Amino acid sequence: MLNVRGLTKVYANKGDGPSGGVQEASFDLQPATFFTLLGPSGCGKTTTLRCIAGLETPDAGSIRVADTTFFDSAQGVSVPMNLRRIGMVFQSYAIWPHMTVFENVAFPLRVTKGEKLTGAEIGRRVEEALERVSLQGFGGRSATRLSGGQQQRVALARAIVLRPRLLLLDEPLSNLDAALRDEMRNELRRLQQQIGITTVYVTHDQTEALEMSDQIAVMERGRIVQIGAPRDIYFRPANAFVAGFVGTTNWLDGAMGEACGPGIRQFRLGDGRSLQCILGNQQTTGGARISVRPEKVVLRRDGAPAAAAHNRLDGTVVFAGFLGTMNRYQVDIGGSTMQVYDAADAAFTVGERVALDFPVADTVALDG
Amino acid sequence: MPGIGAEGSSLPSPAGSLPAPAIGWQRPLRAWLKRGWLGLLVATIMALLVLPPVWTLLQTSFSATQTDLSYGGLTLEHYRSLIQGRNLGNAALNSVTFALLATLVSLCFGGVLAWLVERTDVPMKGLAYVTTIISLGTPYILYVTAWLYLLGRAGPFNDFYRSWIDAEAMPFNVNSLGGMVLIEGFLWSPLVFLMLSATFRAANAEMEEAARMSGASIPQTVWRISMRLAWPAILALALFVFIRNLESFEVPALVGMPGRVDVLTTEIYRSIKEMPPRLGYASAYSVVMLLMVGVLLFAYGRISRHAERYASITGKGYRPRPFRLGRARWLAGCVILFNFLVVLALPLCALLWVAFMPFMRPMRWSAVKFLTTKQFDAVLSSPHYLSLGVNTLVIAVCTATIAMALTVLAGWLAARRQVAGGVIDQLVTVPLVFPGLVLGVALLELSLKSPLPLYGTTWLIMLAFTIRYMPYGMRYAYAGVLQIHPELEQAAGVAGATTGTTLRRIVVPLLWPSIASGWLFIFLICAKEMSLPLLLAGPDSQTISVAMFDLWSNGQGGEVAALGLLWAALMTLFASGFYAIMRRHAAKTFGH
Ligand SMILES: Nc1ncnc2c1ncn2[C@@H]1O[C@H](COP(=O)(O)OP(=O)(O)O)[C@@H](O)[C@H]1O
Ligand SMILES: [Mg+2]
Repeated sequence: MLNVRGLTKVYANKGDGPSGGVQEASFDLQPATFFTLLGPSGCGKTTTLRCIAGLETPDAGSIRVADTTFFDSAQGVSVPMNLRRIGMVFQSYAIWPHMTVFENVAFPLRVTKGEKLTGAEIGRRVEEALERVSLQGFGGRSATRLSGGQQQRVALARAIVLRPRLLLLDEPLSNLDAALRDEMRNELRRLQQQIGITTVYVTHDQTEALEMSDQIAVMERGRIVQIGAPRDIYFRPANAFVAGFVGTTNWLDGAMGEACGPGIRQFRLGDGRSLQCILGNQQTTGGARISVRPEKVVLRRDGAPAAAAHNRLDGTVVFAGFLGTMNRYQVDIGGSTMQVYDAADAAFTVGERVALDFPVADTVALDG
Repeated sequence: MPGIGAEGSSLPSPAGSLPAPAIGWQRPLRAWLKRGWLGLLVATIMALLVLPPVWTLLQTSFSATQTDLSYGGLTLEHYRSLIQGRNLGNAALNSVTFALLATLVSLCFGGVLAWLVERTDVPMKGLAYVTTIISLGTPYILYVTAWLYLLGRAGPFNDFYRSWIDAEAMPFNVNSLGGMVLIEGFLWSPLVFLMLSATFRAANAEMEEAARMSGASIPQTVWRISMRLAWPAILALALFVFIRNLESFEVPALVGMPGRVDVLTTEIYRSIKEMPPRLGYASAYSVVMLLMVGVLLFAYGRISRHAERYASITGKGYRPRPFRLGRARWLAGCVILFNFLVVLALPLCALLWVAFMPFMRPMRWSAVKFLTTKQFDAVLSSPHYLSLGVNTLVIAVCTATIAMALTVLAGWLAARRQVAGGVIDQLVTVPLVFPGLVLGVALLELSLKSPLPLYGTTWLIMLAFTIRYMPYGMRYAYAGVLQIHPELEQAAGVAGATTGTTLRRIVVPLLWPSIASGWLFIFLICAKEMSLPLLLAGPDSQTISVAMFDLWSNGQGGEVAALGLLWAALMTLFASGFYAIMRRHAAKTFGH
């Protein structure tokens, strides 16, 4: 559906020379995918999105939607943005204050070439779009008299009213307050599934990305470092950056050992204790770190029998906090501390000796 | 019982925060006075400054003329002669036509320029800014004389026409409504450029991009989104410029009067300068103008509030993303060049030429041999001009200082919603309805009747300037105070400081950059303003711009140019030096 190949856009900043932007981004999306670009601020997510939209001209690469080429630096093709028929929601929503809600949503229908609609048809399509975002009856409202959430819905209605093949969303939830953000997150996802539109979503919020997406691309300093389903990204991060950025994790330093099973390697911690781990990606070698998610660790009484295919470490609880849905512990494992999220009914007290069990399959070795 | 902190931004004064219902009303009144004395004092001063001129105008316009200047009985005589004479209708019509057309010229010219510079990839953007900044520091009268020469009988345009096309003709008569419109339009276009470029710069680029993504072409986007969004701001600005054009005196006096094109301001001026002065008639005229401007200002207030509402819901534009003009780029570059020529290069050349020529003559190679520094010598060696310069500087420095001192207090009281703050806020805006000339008439009458010997003194000019420019000082002070977090003052109060101490030790030091900018602004306009001192100056209280006007009326164009150029250079030097010092000072205080 959407094919992006080698997309590169570098900005020539005054003073510090070429920098920023995006480099060599490639991905292919199936129809109706919810695809998220995830990364810290300034990593090039917006730039990528704007290149797809046509608001920015890439330096190199190609962009295709279905069988149409939007941009190809090799062939010298570049379709102007107003002919691409892409729906887009801007970070500031960009609701035109001098028009009513109806006129805002009707605008694409009125200006798009080849879209000769009668007044009644326009009215019907606008009402349909407003209904989809639960704003039926708001058409006559002045755009200056809308709350943040409503503005966002109008922006969404305006983006889908042309029934585009592709929907682009740039941090659409970042201007909303927390409660509204959760609500809109669900609604956005529901809407996307209902109309089955291929969506590229930009965010720096990992929970948002994990909950909403079919596919996530994690970006770091202008490059895509991993593409995958939310579960893969979270449990099989391709490198230390992804593991650290997507969720919290425990880092254990040491050195790789010999192979001891299909896909399983020995890992020697600094103090000589040894664990079994899997490889995050195939290149991982030599001096490395392993990552263990805090919720994958289970605490047991000292001396409890070890489970199969699990690693075990011993330690002392140094902090215990009850959060209602779970317990949060910090356990001193001799030199370093590990974060552990354990079940709400697993009660240990500070100072207690405990055993930490975590599956080998969730002990991931990554490059330093 | 409200605690100390419940007083909002007011400083803790325990007596003020303790209501004492059982003891009667004296206690709360005294407490209120103790808290509000500063507000009451400032409000009283403001009222004494701005209300008497209004009152005097009204009174004079409704009183029969007496030879000893005391008020006669109540009469409508002045208004009757106003309405019956043909002059009012004619002058009002001319005024409105002139103001309207000049507004259109400066709006189109300045607006196109601002849009090109801010929203497209036009070349030579820097040139547009430099042109504007320099032109804002030049006295209007200097500009006007430059244009009078350029478009006048001896100027290059008419001269060119005569030498090449028709030796007898004078294709362009500058002393006409057309000439006035053109000159006034060019005079205001730099300001329009500055204000509209701020609007275009602050505009949210995503609004335009959203339209493009919706399928709109560039012209559709510009017409249906960009223009409509900027519309309230443009309309407000248009109204503002229109008001200023209506009040304008320099261009009508220098360009219009010789060609007998009369407008309201020149009518007022003429009836004052007649012997004997027709004060009642002039006052009635002034009241008419006051009403017109008052209505327009009211409309302006409404529109600009509307404009702000538009502005407030735009989001954070990321970076300016200019439209690409493609092949039209060089054409747009010509507009920038044209602006540079018209607003800066041509007038400057003309002034230099006139200043270095013994008398006005066309710009020709054959005339180069006459070049002389005679006029500069005359200006530089004359003790008369020196004392004029000193006089003007003294007036400007004193006015700027007094006005800023008053408005800092007023701005603080108003911004912090202190006792009488609201009243002060209203009072300070009153002078805005006075065209310079009308305020001049009012103060002239006031000084003639006042028991103090004010008439013809520098004090009178300072008083007039202070009243006229207080609203501008207020803008700087008020905005400055709003930027200071109230807790900084409350902390001083909690630490035990009195209101006075807090103002002196906390507010004023933090406000210093705003105060300095406001001071410089008032100083510069006082140094170039002409219409007020023209009415009020006595033989010993002349200013540079009045002298320039007199020289011009005597036909000594060369000396006007020489004097004006020297003065403009001095002011530019002064302003840049001031900025440099301010920057260094700010770096020391605020560490950046
Ligand atoms: N118009 C521009 N000119 C210069 N640099 C830019 C421009 N737009 C973005 N950048 C730089 O490119 C990098 C990526 O920006 P962006 O794509 O906006 O990041 P984000 O992932 O936060 O959306 C940043 O370092 C930014 O400074
Ligand atoms: Mg971004």
